[in-house]
Amino acid sequence: MKKLASTSDLEKTRRAIVSEREKKPVVITVCSGTGCITCGSSDLFDSLHQEILKQGLYDRIELRKTGCHGFCELGPVTVILPKEICYFQMKPADVPEVITKTIIGDEVVERLTYKDSQSGNRIANLRDIPFYKYQKRILLANNAVVNPGDIRDYIAIGGYSALAKVLTQMKPDEVIHVMKEANLRGRGGGGFPAGIKWETTRRASGKPKYVIVNADEGDPGAYMDRSLLEGNPHGVIEGLIIGGYAIGAHEGFIYVRQEYPLAVKNTQRALEQASQYGLLGERILGTGFHFDVRIHRGAGAFVSGESSALMTALEGHVGEPRPKYIHTSEKGLWDKPSCLNNVETWATVPFIINQGASWFRSMGTKGSSGTKVFSLVGKINNTGLVEVPMGISLRDIIFKIGGGIPKGRKFKAVQTGGPSGGVLPESLLDLPVDFDELTKAGSMMGSGGMIVMDEDTCMVDTARYYVDFLAHESCGKCVPCREGLRQMLFILNDITSGHGKEGDLELLEELSETLREASLCALGQSAPNPVMSTLRHFRDEYNAHIREKRCPAGVCKELIRFDIDQEKCSGCGLCKKNCPVGAVYEKEKKRFFIDNEKCIKCGACYSVCPEKFSAVIRSSGTPQPTAFTAQKGGRK
Amino acid sequence: MHADDKKAQRVVKIQNPRKASVLVIDDEEAMCEGCRQTLEESGFSTAVALNGAEGIRLAEKVRPDVVLVDLKMPGVGGMEVIRRVHELDPHIVPIVITGYGTVDSAVESMKLGAFDFLTKPFEPEKLLESVRRGVKLSHLRLESETREEKQVPAEKAGPSKQDVLLKGLSVLSESYSAGFDRMDFIDELSRLEVEAKYHADILGRVKKREKAILDVVNELRLVDEIISKHDYKKSSLIQILLDTQVSLHWLPRHALKWISERLNVPLADIYSIASFYEAFSLKPEGAHSVHVCMGTACHVRGAPDLLRKTSALLGIEEGQSDDKQMFTLKTVHCLGCCALSPVVQIDDFYLSNPSLAKLKKVFKSLEAEEVHK
Repeated sequence: MKKLASTSDLEKTRRAIVSEREKKPVVITVCSGTGCITCGSSDLFDSLHQEILKQGLYDRIELRKTGCHGFCELGPVTVILPKEICYFQMKPADVPEVITKTIIGDEVVERLTYKDSQSGNRIANLRDIPFYKYQKRILLANNAVVNPGDIRDYIAIGGYSALAKVLTQMKPDEVIHVMKEANLRGRGGGGFPAGIKWETTRRASGKPKYVIVNADEGDPGAYMDRSLLEGNPHGVIEGLIIGGYAIGAHEGFIYVRQEYPLAVKNTQRALEQASQYGLLGERILGTGFHFDVRIHRGAGAFVSGESSALMTALEGHVGEPRPKYIHTSEKGLWDKPSCLNNVETWATVPFIINQGASWFRSMGTKGSSGTKVFSLVGKINNTGLVEVPMGISLRDIIFKIGGGIPKGRKFKAVQTGGPSGGVLPESLLDLPVDFDELTKAGSMMGSGGMIVMDEDTCMVDTARYYVDFLAHESCGKCVPCREGLRQMLFILNDITSGHGKEGDLELLEELSETLREASLCALGQSAPNPVMSTLRHFRDEYNAHIREKRCPAGVCKELIRFDIDQEKCSGCGLCKKNCPVGAVYEKEKKRFFIDNEKCIKCGACYSVCPEKFSAVIRSSGTPQPTAFTAQKGGRK
Repeated sequence: MHADDKKAQRVVKIQNPRKASVLVIDDEEAMCEGCRQTLEESGFSTAVALNGAEGIRLAEKVRPDVVLVDLKMPGVGGMEVIRRVHELDPHIVPIVITGYGTVDSAVESMKLGAFDFLTKPFEPEKLLESVRRGVKLSHLRLESETREEKQVPAEKAGPSKQDVLLKGLSVLSESYSAGFDRMDFIDELSRLEVEAKYHADILGRVKKREKAILDVVNELRLVDEIISKHDYKKSSLIQILLDTQVSLHWLPRHALKWISERLNVPLADIYSIASFYEAFSLKPEGAHSVHVCMGTACHVRGAPDLLRKTSALLGIEEGQSDDKQMFTLKTVHCLGCCALSPVVQIDDFYLSNPSLAKLKKVFKSLEAEEVHK
């Protein structure tokens, strides 16, 4: 490949790729994100490939592996363009039928299309599926059409044209001006305006300067960054080069978690291809600007996602935060001015450059413009990644896009902002989602994790879960965080195991206050949020654990037991088969009982018992019906 | 007799030390009687047989520590007795008593397993000394046998031991013909035997050690490749450690020391990094890693249950490896597969909410694969 020597070269290449692509009228895209690979998209791709060769359709059909489509739960996701017919959970066995009916003929294979959980209707077109219909997909839209392993795909849809525009038509200050105008706030959770950060770094004295992509997506329950890096790494790289130009940096880093092997691989390949095309390295697109990017894999520490800690890790030291009296934009990596932004922030940059600040501000609210990608997960029907304009209500996200709670259960709360955020109960469902509103409600935007919880989720356990996570992830450098979290965990462990006592909740609140005031970095300062917000909205549940030794949601292991209702049990034996410790025994033919001394409360029996019988009973705090216990005694 | 019974008898012998027993086989009754008296006066229990066939029968019955045997007897000869007794129970030590000592017969009987070679007539002291040493040897053999039974022998020391012994014998037989004192011959022999055993043990250990060293060298070579791939940069330390972890499955001390020297970074700094991050392991891990995702999405959809299930199935707790070093069970904060929750990652593939049967099947097939290897 000859390097692109000018912006017109880039445009020429783009046209060449497009006209070559036009020869094949039909494109079948198969999602190759980690989610869909788990669901078997690799096998599906291979059989599609073979079937196309077999039927001699190679000249007509282009088969493309793309990034994540967002609707991971129903993977593998296959979309047939240009009609945008969308098939879910297609198996290799379905391939011949799909090719014959949908590609050669003009018929939709009904059973592979989306089935609406409420109306039961089948929907074939991608745009009509509620999950997609109510979204505003900008970043994710590209994900679904480009092959992350082929830079030509990205160029074909106008990739790197923003870079070309910046390098040839704009001065660095103008770029920063546009960014400030657009009011793009940091997508990693802090919400600090990117334009201002860029400006500070540009003005700071000291050379060289660095730009850094933070892809250390440590928030459990969030995977937007993974999907963007896996699906369209070039978008992030383009944004980073533009940032480098605006700030005056010639070196960039991408700090990505090693838990995301596919993201590392795809990004690495994208960097190589960009260099081959002359979009990285010396004299980019024939201009005088030079820029290089290196990947650094994070080794699995939540706190290393904090900006100063991340930079320490980049230097090759233990990734612990330092006090930030001086911002990293002035003294960051190797004490040089460094600009750190999250994956999604960088990926948004090319769009703003191409379409202008006012376009970006036309979406969202006054304080928070643009769109935001959320990972909508947990107890929700349509699980996956959604991109929505800021200001949309939680209710719309959860019920319109997410399709509500599965199995007719009741909505209880939604958790946003990861371990630094909080839970929002049903009463706050009409809250518009933007940086300021969520903070006001006691939670935060965070990087975009949105975990939906239903009535079977214990809020005390959720708080305990986050504190456990944070206590484990605290680097231990400052006392309030290290000791405070440890003590909070002790208290919460006591409460969830039935040893809570009066006064525990007040103590938790006191500790929370200390942590918030006295911790060194954001991890400790925001650590009490999950506890505080659950206490605020679900104090009753805490009290049920403490006073009645009862877990209303039936989650806390020490407070629940499982038994089999002999009247409902049909004797199918599924519970016995699925018990990992052999606690289910058959006393006489087709009469099953649970030995609660052996039982490890894994709930396997409960979840496999067919719904029509529902014979396995989970109980908490209530005395056992004598029928169960009396019969159990007979065994010994 | 049954092999198991034999074992049982041996064990009893060791556990209840009793009088050492000697079986005398000679067709000369006077010779037998003389030996019997000398031995019993010194506290040995004895049995006497007047021909080879009876001797073998008695040996089977009483299981003596030492057999004194004449070479020339009517019927079953002394050589045959030695061979049969050795077959019967290798811990029995045969000592030859003969009136017709030749170098050839001495060497031949020794090859068959005779411990000493006494030419008639002999002093009672000589007899006693020889017998005492024979008994000692017999007990030594018993002990080492039971030890070996307990420990699975890593290297078969057998052949090398025999080789050393035979080599020594041929040298000795030469010196014997050259007129050395017989006592020296005997001493030299027993010394050689002890030495042979010692060397055989060492040899086994050396071989193991050699392999260990070779493994270390290979590992360090790998580490070296990794370091040079990262241009010996100190700032790439975490990357180097990550790659090392991936290729060795853990961070052994020698690898960390090597990296420390190569990059000129204090070992303590390397340990502070290696112990800080989740991705590193400072103890050996199983061939297959099982990561249960503990992300929030997985948590609310039953990750703790999945962990309990997996742990019960593998029989290990979180953070542990099984005895066969096959599986290591770990938890991870978030794998970023939240839509498929709860997720378990086994090596490179992900399982979304697997049933118990599915997990069992995967573990079984991985185990079978490993056995196949």
